Amino acid sequence: MRTLSAITSLWYQWRWLGIFIILLSLAIGVTNSAIEGNWEKLFDSPRNVQTFFTESLWPPDWSVLEPQAYPVCEESGWLDFTCSTAWIGLLETLKIAFVATVFGMLISYPIALMAAENLSPAWISYPARALLAALRSLPSILWAVLFVIMIGLGPLAGIMAMTLYTIGYLGKLQYEVIEGVAQPQLDASRAMGHGWLERSFGVILPESANNLISQAVFMFEYNFRHGTVIGIVGAGGIGYYINLYLKFLQYDKVFAYVIVIFVVVLILDVLSKYARSLFNDDKVRKKHPWWTILLPSSITQKLEEE
Amino acid sequence: MASTDNVVVRSGSVGYKRNEPLLSGVNFTFNPGEIIAINGASGIGKTTLLKTLAGLLEPLEGDVNVFGKSKPRRGEVGYIPQRLGLIRHASVLHNVMLGARAGHTSAWFPFSRSCRKFSDNAIDSVGILQKLRTPVRKLSGGQQRRVAVARTLAQQPRLILADEFLAELDEETLEMVMKVVLDYVSENNAIMILVEHDFERAKRMANRLFTAKGGELVEIFDF
Repeated sequence: MRTLSAITSLWYQWRWLGIFIILLSLAIGVTNSAIEGNWEKLFDSPRNVQTFFTESLWPPDWSVLEPQAYPVCEESGWLDFTCSTAWIGLLETLKIAFVATVFGMLISYPIALMAAENLSPAWISYPARALLAALRSLPSILWAVLFVIMIGLGPLAGIMAMTLYTIGYLGKLQYEVIEGVAQPQLDASRAMGHGWLERSFGVILPESANNLISQAVFMFEYNFRHGTVIGIVGAGGIGYYINLYLKFLQYDKVFAYVIVIFVVVLILDVLSKYARSLFNDDKVRKKHPWWTILLPSSITQKLEEE
Repeated sequence: MASTDNVVVRSGSVGYKRNEPLLSGVNFTFNPGEIIAINGASGIGKTTLLKTLAGLLEPLEGDVNVFGKSKPRRGEVGYIPQRLGLIRHASVLHNVMLGARAGHTSAWFPFSRSCRKFSDNAIDSVGILQKLRTPVRKLSGGQQRRVAVARTLAQQPRLILADEFLAELDEETLEMVMKVVLDYVSENNAIMILVEHDFERAKRMANRLFTAKGGELVEIFDF
């Protein structure tokens, strides 16, 4: 009996380490079965990466920022980079992300209202949730493949694919915010006798507006990152050019595009963090240098607490 | 006797679970112009009773009749929850307009020019007209309570249900808000039911005093 209690107390003391070791062993076991015990492949990979990096990727080919030979660039001087494939592709991806976010947000809100359990009865909320889940279950790249087949190559297919995915993803975030609206607000509204529309747009919308806007800004950034991927299947944007150079094995140009995308994602991250801070709350936030976005959120939080 | 003028509960039982009523055997008739205060320990069922009268909960047993109907109609009930139920991110005007719209428009077309007039008058009567465009979250606790009162006054309901609505108010503001509400009730012949723990304050405001104790609602004073 005493031994059992000693084991229990030992387990209680070291339980987190124990759970970690169990999970790690499980992960190693699953990896071993996946690679069929061929660990040499894994240990050889750093050498392969080094060879690939020095022989194919480095240095990046910055000619992607130079004007294309055709059509002839009409801009002169330092503005001629606007005729480059990197700029044209980037702008198209940003446009696709923007349009998809706006349309996605406008369409998803009414569906989210129907999906929220504190606003709609089960026979409306469950089908609405199922619809959002269905739209979300296909990643945007598969939607893009479907739309390229249906309406052909180009940014329109990208916009439609991203819009559908945005509706599914944003709709879920929105109904969770709506369900988080405090009960007294809804009680007061119900007691006054407000109708469904009045409650949705007069009470719920202003109460959760900050969160909804913050989510839309996040979604725009997310759509831009995914917009670079859907171009690969021919749905427009910078991904189209990446795919083109991948086919011709011109990895140094692909690397240059990747760096351009990385820089834009960084800029969008800073802008989105700033934009969201405007809508989040009234707490006076300490402004930190832009590079803090590169730090893990736990460290940023500690900086804010100081 | 239930009529279109009074609030009547007969053998009422309120709560969240049928086999665990918080208050049972509730009987009362409240007539126009009456102010009723209810006190009692926390969790005894006072708020649940208010919610049942507001039509937010079904009674577990018995009859609840609010102006001749089992559920009040649009705009008839002004409810001030304990946590006020204000929209924090919206302006004072927006919050008060919600009450005015409920009281003076239909659910199908909730727009009318008169709503603005009712709202301005109500906000002015509680002394926060200068905060008209301020988001509620930027107001102090006492000011937020005044917004909730203004929302109810702009609605001009026949029945006011107020859950500890005088808490957090300083003495001067408390007197002012009390006077505004008492004037409204007497001028409009409305009924007011308030949950109030402060016995002296309850005595000053109400003409009938009930206490919730041991699962029952008992009238202890009829002034």
